Amino acid sequence: MDRTSQGCPSRWRDNTALKQQHLPAHRLQLSATKVLSGFFVTGTFCLGVGIILILSAKSTKEIEINYTNICANCAELRENTINFDKECTCSIPFYLPETMQGNVYMYYKLHSFYQNLYRYSLSRSNSQLMGQDIMDVGNCDLFGKTPNGTPICPCGAIANSMFNDTIILSYNLNSSIHIKVPMLSSGITWWTDKFIKYQNPNSNHLPSAFAGTAKPPFWPRAVYELDEEDVENNGLVNDDFIVWMRTAAFPTFKKLYRRLRRIQYFTEGLPAGNYSFNITYNFPVTRYHGEKSVVLSTLTWSGGRSLFLGLAYTVTGTVTWLASFVMMAIYLARKERMTVFPQQ
Amino acid sequence: MTVPKEKPEKWARAGAPLSWSRKKPSWGTEEERRARANDREYNEKFQYASNCIKTSKYNILTFLPVNLFEQFQEVANTYFLFLLILQLIPQISSLSWFTTIVPLVLVLTITAVKDATDDYFRHKSDNQVNNRQSQVLINGILQQEQWMNVCVGDIIKLENNQFVAADLLLLSSSEPHGLCYIETAELDGETNMKVRQAIPVTSELGDISKLAKFDGEVICEPPNNKLDKFSGTLYWKENKFSLSNQNMLLRGCVLRNTEWCFGLVIFAGPDTKLMQNSGRTKFKRTSIDRLMNTLVLWIFGFLVCMGVILAIGNAIWEYKVGTRFQVYLPWDEAVDSAFFSGFLSFWSYIIILNTVVPISLYVSVEVIRLGHSYFINWDKKMFCMKKRTPAEARTTTLNEELGQVEYIFSDKTGTLTQNIMVFNKCSINGHSYGDVFDVLGHKAELGERPEPVDFSFNPLADKKFLFWDPTLLEAVKMGDPHTHEFFRLLSLCHTVMSEEKNEGELYYKAQSPDEGALVTAARNFGFVFRFRTPKTITVHEMGTAITYQLLAILDFNNIRKRMSVIVRNPEGKIRLYCKGADTILLDRLHHSTQELLNATTDHLNEYAGEGLRTLVLAYKDLDEEYYEEWADRRLQASLAQDSREDRLASVYEEIESDLMLLGATAIEDKLQQGVPETIALLTLANIKIWVLTGDKQETAVNIGYSCKMLTDDMSEVFVVTGHTVLEVREELRKAREKMMDLSRTIGNGFTFHEKLTSSKLTSVLEAVAGEYALVINGHSLAHALEADMELEFLETACACKAVICCRVTPLQKAQVVELVKKYKKAVTLAIGDGANDVSMIKTAHIGVGISGQEGIQAVLASDYSFSQFKFLQRLLLVHGRWSYLRMCKFLCYFFYKNFAFTMVHFWFGFFCGFSAQTVYDQYFITLYNIVYTSLPVLAMGVFDQDVPEQRSMEYPKLYEPGQLNLLFNKREFFICIAQGIYTSVLMFFIPYGVFAEATRDDGTQLADYQSFAVTVATSLVIVVSVQIGLDTGYWTAINHFFIWGSLAVYFAILFAMHSKGLFGLFPNQFRFVGNAQNTLAQPTVWLTIVLTTVVCIMPVVAFRFLKLNLKPDLSDTVRYTQLVRKKQKAQHRCMRRVGRTGSRRSGYAFSHQEGFGELIMSGKNMRLSSLALSSFTTRSSSSWIESLRRKKSDSASSPSGGADKPLKG
Repeated sequence: MDRTSQGCPSRWRDNTALKQQHLPAHRLQLSATKVLSGFFVTGTFCLGVGIILILSAKSTKEIEINYTNICANCAELRENTINFDKECTCSIPFYLPETMQGNVYMYYKLHSFYQNLYRYSLSRSNSQLMGQDIMDVGNCDLFGKTPNGTPICPCGAIANSMFNDTIILSYNLNSSIHIKVPMLSSGITWWTDKFIKYQNPNSNHLPSAFAGTAKPPFWPRAVYELDEEDVENNGLVNDDFIVWMRTAAFPTFKKLYRRLRRIQYFTEGLPAGNYSFNITYNFPVTRYHGEKSVVLSTLTWSGGRSLFLGLAYTVTGTVTWLASFVMMAIYLARKERMTVFPQQ
Repeated sequence: MTVPKEKPEKWARAGAPLSWSRKKPSWGTEEERRARANDREYNEKFQYASNCIKTSKYNILTFLPVNLFEQFQEVANTYFLFLLILQLIPQISSLSWFTTIVPLVLVLTITAVKDATDDYFRHKSDNQVNNRQSQVLINGILQQEQWMNVCVGDIIKLENNQFVAADLLLLSSSEPHGLCYIETAELDGETNMKVRQAIPVTSELGDISKLAKFDGEVICEPPNNKLDKFSGTLYWKENKFSLSNQNMLLRGCVLRNTEWCFGLVIFAGPDTKLMQNSGRTKFKRTSIDRLMNTLVLWIFGFLVCMGVILAIGNAIWEYKVGTRFQVYLPWDEAVDSAFFSGFLSFWSYIIILNTVVPISLYVSVEVIRLGHSYFINWDKKMFCMKKRTPAEARTTTLNEELGQVEYIFSDKTGTLTQNIMVFNKCSINGHSYGDVFDVLGHKAELGERPEPVDFSFNPLADKKFLFWDPTLLEAVKMGDPHTHEFFRLLSLCHTVMSEEKNEGELYYKAQSPDEGALVTAARNFGFVFRFRTPKTITVHEMGTAITYQLLAILDFNNIRKRMSVIVRNPEGKIRLYCKGADTILLDRLHHSTQELLNATTDHLNEYAGEGLRTLVLAYKDLDEEYYEEWADRRLQASLAQDSREDRLASVYEEIESDLMLLGATAIEDKLQQGVPETIALLTLANIKIWVLTGDKQETAVNIGYSCKMLTDDMSEVFVVTGHTVLEVREELRKAREKMMDLSRTIGNGFTFHEKLTSSKLTSVLEAVAGEYALVINGHSLAHALEADMELEFLETACACKAVICCRVTPLQKAQVVELVKKYKKAVTLAIGDGANDVSMIKTAHIGVGISGQEGIQAVLASDYSFSQFKFLQRLLLVHGRWSYLRMCKFLCYFFYKNFAFTMVHFWFGFFCGFSAQTVYDQYFITLYNIVYTSLPVLAMGVFDQDVPEQRSMEYPKLYEPGQLNLLFNKREFFICIAQGIYTSVLMFFIPYGVFAEATRDDGTQLADYQSFAVTVATSLVIVVSVQIGLDTGYWTAINHFFIWGSLAVYFAILFAMHSKGLFGLFPNQFRFVGNAQNTLAQPTVWLTIVLTTVVCIMPVVAFRFLKLNLKPDLSDTVRYTQLVRKKQKAQHRCMRRVGRTGSRRSGYAFSHQEGFGELIMSGKNMRLSSLALSSFTTRSSSSWIESLRRKKSDSASSPSGGADKPLKG
């Protein structure tokens, strides 16, 4: 080798493991031990996770009430746009057979509402929503400006179509005592949404901050009047607004509406008994053949009462186990016949 | 050889595809060429091409437009440009413009840079050639001019060892009678010298003043590519002189042994025969390339189908749901119906789904090939120490085809052999010399030789001559009369010319290297041929000068296969010395030599078994009267008007009888190192090797044996030498029948139907049992390649293990390659070293040039070059195999990952109202192919190895998958696609199932679009990374770095893109703020990712494991074997050269042409100073000139005259 290098110094640099393709390397080999043990381990893991997930999902309680048809009269009223300022309420009584322990979350659920349409999901202006430039209606397209040219704030199809039913849950101790279940509207958004993505324009006085803009056409009130109870929860940082603006991936989705404030009767959760939802019906769904529901649910570490993941894991684990047994059988049967080249 | 005269158009036709598309003079096709000497003004009228050569494609100004134009001729590039334009239309744009333009610009730039570098080197080599100096006679003065400024009609002066600058008409030279010697190695690969002669009238124009006044005009044929044919007329001083190829010096030749000569430029630059022969560089595509293009078209069709499905879906959705949903999302202003919306969404989906045809595919393929090319260039084991030449991949686009070669077409001289003849062994008086014995008395093998024999006693010895057996020299020194007579014969019986520049510095001008080797051997053993005159030969015998009177040379020809000289020694005794082919000569021996004959025959067999070319030497004493009488008869015969040749032959035959056997010589046509081993290995790898050579049959067959292409184990070697169509057809038919017969008897009683159609025959012949070889001659080949017989020929040839075509012209070489290419659909490789191989190198799928030899034409035309034939095994079995494997793995994975990536959009379409919503963030779409998944697969494509390199040499069968196209074909493609689609289904529906119901652990919604996008993207990146990890068989540090690095980069970019900072700067671009940290903090999301990965990968592992167990392929078995005996040391296969006994082949290894005998006896080529003028008779001189004339007119009258002297291979 030395002689070589002296003989041709310019070639010396080529004599690296890389250039000669002799890099030290691990040769991947699907050896039976590795593969079979891998399969067993994976199968065990999947089965375990699957069972844990199913168990924890089973421990949650959930109640879902579809009120599209229950509130049919309101729905009919909303079919006609002329009645936009007429209020319509609707009460839905239901019985909770078991106590819902722990934190209880209230969701609204829309069916066949396509928040994921390409043009729909683009129809917003982030620079407006972060309070940078409330006159910027960049992508808002049809919902960018009113017919007389005033920019809409918040602009765009998403904001315009915001879910605006009011749902109040009452606990009926007996036929005469109806207790309004205390609910929190805070803490239902991501921290980053609430404090980064959505910001009110800098101003002490909210209405003046939005001066020069118009409310979205479908909204009954301006953006700074969204929450009459909590002044801080107004403008672009309104929790319900932020939740709505985080568009759903699929046409059927549930969004967090309120969470239980665990005081008085409700420190343990929702006790069993009679309840009713009092719904101010504003959001029309029948027009596009959609439906809406209200959902009450408790939680575990893995989220709500969704069995899919647990079942999927269990099935995968089982199949992997079965497969590894089959593979082992085949391997053992073929082992003797495996060809090895004779030593040369 | 003679080619029937009715065939000229065939040659022309076959030449057409190779012919150079030449810039025609403005007034149309040139019909004849007129060139007047020393009259530039007159010649300028015709606007002949100048001597400037241009092979480059661009200059600085034209580079950008021309290159872009070329690049957009690629369908893929145009397609992406089209997509880019689509994306600029707002109504259908579903992705930002940068998702396409970034990769497109990247691809175009990389290709442009590569093209520019290539062209730069072409410019450089053009300049180098164009700026060579030559001496041109301008206005009566010799001036130095650059080659490119030489014009048609100029007279230029050439000096010894100079390259001829253009095609010249030889006017005069320093040698007598306007002779000059040239070497045509550049042109046709022949290294022996050729003689050219000026026509008598011009040969007197020796000095410049006469030449300056020369104003002859040449009218000749237009430029063409026939190297051995020229016809024209010189008009000078109201006389016509006919011109032939004998008067021409062609560009590319080198002047040898001639001090100077003058020539008139007839063809210049692109019109020269050299350039006309070089052909247009065809752009070669690999079969994988073609397959890839087909697949891309299929994918494109698939893409359109998906687009149509989704567009219909969109129309239906808009009609049923969208119209009602207009409250919340009114239609775009331009959209007035669901149908139109569907139409728009078709285009939108075409844009979104375009990633199934990944633009980075082409550029990645280029990068991988470039990497493989560098490996070839760097390979230490393909670096020739002796010549300091590395292997070079001159084209970077063909590497994987090296792993699919089925047919190798090899040149012989300079490729298989070194074109060096070495006096290797001899048998003198029944005693064999030349075997090398080691100290223990065993025959020594190469590499363990003792010191060569010391010839220092002989001051005239050639230092380069090596001989290993000291006993021969001892015998000479002891004064053994037989050895003396033996070497005396060698020093006398030849047509070599000597040149002695300084005292003792002898140079032999031999017409063929074999003859040179013999004379050199005699020289070293003390019988130094010093010089000759037409009537004498002077030899230094053991130090004393002895002059023999040369009475006659009975020259060699193809029928006689022997040559003799009759000399009178100083004592006055007349003796005939004869050397010739054993088959001929052994019959002509005196019966008294029977015993010696037996011993010599044994030796001959032994030599032949070692693949040496043998000659038998004999002598005969003649008495004075007999000789006188014979000489008289010879004179009579030579003066005869009719059948002079025959009569002479019979006179010669008469005297060459009852010879006394002296012994035999064995010359080694030195094979290149490692040739037999390489051929054996390649044959084991199921590669068929055809040797196409210009050499004559015996030589070619000899080499065939010595390099183990032909063996005695073969059932039969068919020789096709027919001169007519019918003969050739008959011979081919017989060969086939024989193969059929034999395989019938071998084939366990299985009988074939008697009447087989030719198509049936093919399939039968494919399965022929036994090994056969076919040897076919050039003139038979000319018939065999005709349209109606080529299939027949091909079938026969392909059924044979080895095929040797001898005496073929360069064009025929190309035709044979073309034939196999056309019908066999197999990858062909042509390897050669000379300019005569250029056409075949260019025709074959892969052309390999042997570099380091004299000519560089072959290398320039080739795709790969290296200096030793033996490197071919490494190029194919290691580099080619790996390249193919890597490319296939790469393609499989690439299509897989893009389908897995893109098809998710398709499934999502059903859930988003077919609104062309993408699943992922647009940045992810932009970066997926060029950042997140590019490097690991590139690393695999560049570095992967399935088995170590030694194994692919040990188990040549590992090469077969490439030939059978097993690793990447349509089936494999569909498997990849299916896997990709399977992955995409899981990739979409598992997260869908999870997200549809679940909530985050703080109760908020999980199923928002952005979280879903991040989850799917993350699991996709992880799944394809795990998959590449599985596909990578050879995990180097680089693979680790790239795979882990890609994952790290993915997360880094993900978090960066979703960071507060970027959102603050561009809120409308980076909409995903905070998404990564919120989504990836969810256990559910990770569980989803893990589940997706497991479900996507486990079936693949299971499938591979089962395949390994149930249906392992060879490389699996090799790997398994490795695993089993990991600790056992690999043993190298050692191939020994096994001596072959049995059939003897004679190699009268002299050039096919007649020797210089006539030239010598006429004294024409002797310098006047060294001539004994008195003995110079007018008769003999004129007879020589006459015969030259006769030959000239013969060749001029027959259009196929060119085929008389085929180019040597």
